[in-house]
Amino acid sequence: MKAAATVGRAYDRTEGDRMTGSNDTRSGPAPASAPNHVCACYSDDRTWADLAYGFLAPALERGERLYYFADATDPDAVLAALAARGMDVAAARVRGRLEVFTADDTYLAAGPFDPDAMVGQWHDATAQALADGCTGLRAIGEMSWCARDVPGADRLLEYELRIHREVFARLPRLSALCLYDRRLIPDADTAVLTGAHRAAPVHPPGEAPPARPPLRALPHPHAPGLVLEGALDHDGRTATRGVAAALSRMADDGDAEVDLSALEFVDVVGAGVLAEAARSLPAGRSLRVSGAPPTLHRLLGLFPELRAGLKVVR
Amino acid sequence: MTTSVLTDPVLPPGESFAHPALSYRDEPDFLRAVGSFVQDGLEAGRPVLVLVPGPRLEALRDLFGGDGGAVWTDMAEAGRNPGRVLSLLATFAARRPGRPARVVMEPIWPGRDRAETVEAARLEALVNLVFADRPTAFLCAYQEPALPADVMALVRRTHPALLDAGARGARECAEYADPLAVCAECDVPLEEPPGPVAVLPYTDGDLAAVRAFLAGRLEGTALSAARRSDLVLAVTEAATNSLRHGGGRGTLRMWSTPGRVHVETRDTGRLDDPLAGRFRPDPTAASGGRGLWMINELCDLVRIRSSADGLVLRMSMDLR
Repeated sequence: MKAAATVGRAYDRTEGDRMTGSNDTRSGPAPASAPNHVCACYSDDRTWADLAYGFLAPALERGERLYYFADATDPDAVLAALAARGMDVAAARVRGRLEVFTADDTYLAAGPFDPDAMVGQWHDATAQALADGCTGLRAIGEMSWCARDVPGADRLLEYELRIHREVFARLPRLSALCLYDRRLIPDADTAVLTGAHRAAPVHPPGEAPPARPPLRALPHPHAPGLVLEGALDHDGRTATRGVAAALSRMADDGDAEVDLSALEFVDVVGAGVLAEAARSLPAGRSLRVSGAPPTLHRLLGLFPELRAGLKVVR
Repeated sequence: MTTSVLTDPVLPPGESFAHPALSYRDEPDFLRAVGSFVQDGLEAGRPVLVLVPGPRLEALRDLFGGDGGAVWTDMAEAGRNPGRVLSLLATFAARRPGRPARVVMEPIWPGRDRAETVEAARLEALVNLVFADRPTAFLCAYQEPALPADVMALVRRTHPALLDAGARGARECAEYADPLAVCAECDVPLEEPPGPVAVLPYTDGDLAAVRAFLAGRLEGTALSAARRSDLVLAVTEAATNSLRHGGGRGTLRMWSTPGRVHVETRDTGRLDDPLAGRFRPDPTAASGGRGLWMINELCDLVRIRSSADGLVLRMSMDLR
């Protein structure tokens, strides 16, 4: 159980850029300033069980409701693993404090994976947990369905990028762990998707992190928008669609921001992605681009038509 | 300006395509013949573009009081890479839709580098292809006594009419040849690098490595930071074309010659359209010509060779 305890503490440590904004004051102050949207990757069952128990057990003690959304793992195996590590799963279930679902039976049941519907469901589930007298909601999701031929799976990056602001910044009583099983998900995808979390991924002992993706996108720390790192070019093409989709839905309460100060290069397709995101913002909203690399300025000189909707600032 | 300089109208104001080569001996000869062509065009209310190298441009512009309503562009700068001139011409025409225009060009001047000269001849051939049914009257000036005989032979193959400065009226050019045949002639073998060559094979996922390779080797050259960035942008587009259209991999070679840096990509792609990359594209349209147009805009010389062995794209930057 030592590994599990270590992993568990890792989730609740303070993160530098803590979540801001809270619409939810019904249950007192938020639990410290730990990040409430975290992720982990792993490649064996023992590590998986340590991660799950380490994340859930302290929350159960704090009076939170626990949800586990399984994909590759049999729900009974989830319960068995938690029980084997010391959780009284029977009591927790009876009191409505622990439920294990499958993704297929819940959020993938109604049709294609839909980030907009998911956002609403998190708000509803959190409100329900608080209404039921729980101190919060803590959830784990196995993300391995993204490597299967699931309709809408290509929107997972958009989703991970959006929920930082649309869900977790607004629901401090909610916390979630996204589990990336490297036996099932290609490392290139794991790198991009775990990179979309502001909190550093939890790397269990002995688990080497996946190679840095060509393009990493993560939520902007304090504005609707994104931070991009690496290069917005052909090598990062699998991530650019999610980036564009997320950006174009981020300006509901002001201009959207994209911080490029850690981006080394933009090619013409990348510049087109930014321009397209700017054009698809609601009327009157712009995409503010800061820290752009020299190639973006050069491309906007060659193609002034891409400037529409972009506010390029130094 | 004095009217004595501009006496003979060398071409009647026309509404259809004309593309004669003007042979001139010296600057007074040039100013007289080209000056009257420009003057007539301006008097007839035609849009006029003068695209000749700097010193000639200044002398001519002085005749018109520094402007006179024409567009004055330095061919040695704007047309340093002949591969981007067609785009410039098309943009000039597109901004003046339906209006017959006059264009003066001097794409090959005495002392111009051999490789640039061949690409400029290709440009002249493509003008015939692109403007055949447009109401643009060109006048292309060549200082015949100072140009090699084989260059003048190419000039005659790319111009349907010839004109001598001082003579009245153009005459048909018997040596004029099919533009595509001239383009094929211009596909001369590329010279092999004379010295050491840095080589980097690349495939999917290697674009950052390609850029790091370039940046490392451009360090310490006389190329400014902005032009290094331009070259990196151009080469990334070329390598991206290899990944998307050229078999998914390629080989990069890089070397220097006095005053120049050269970077070449080689892949198994084909390029059969002689006009690819020669017109300003829609930046959001996913066409291969978009990258090539950018490469032409960004580099000082671009040479493309397509054969059964694949596609070679050679990009050169002048150290200036």
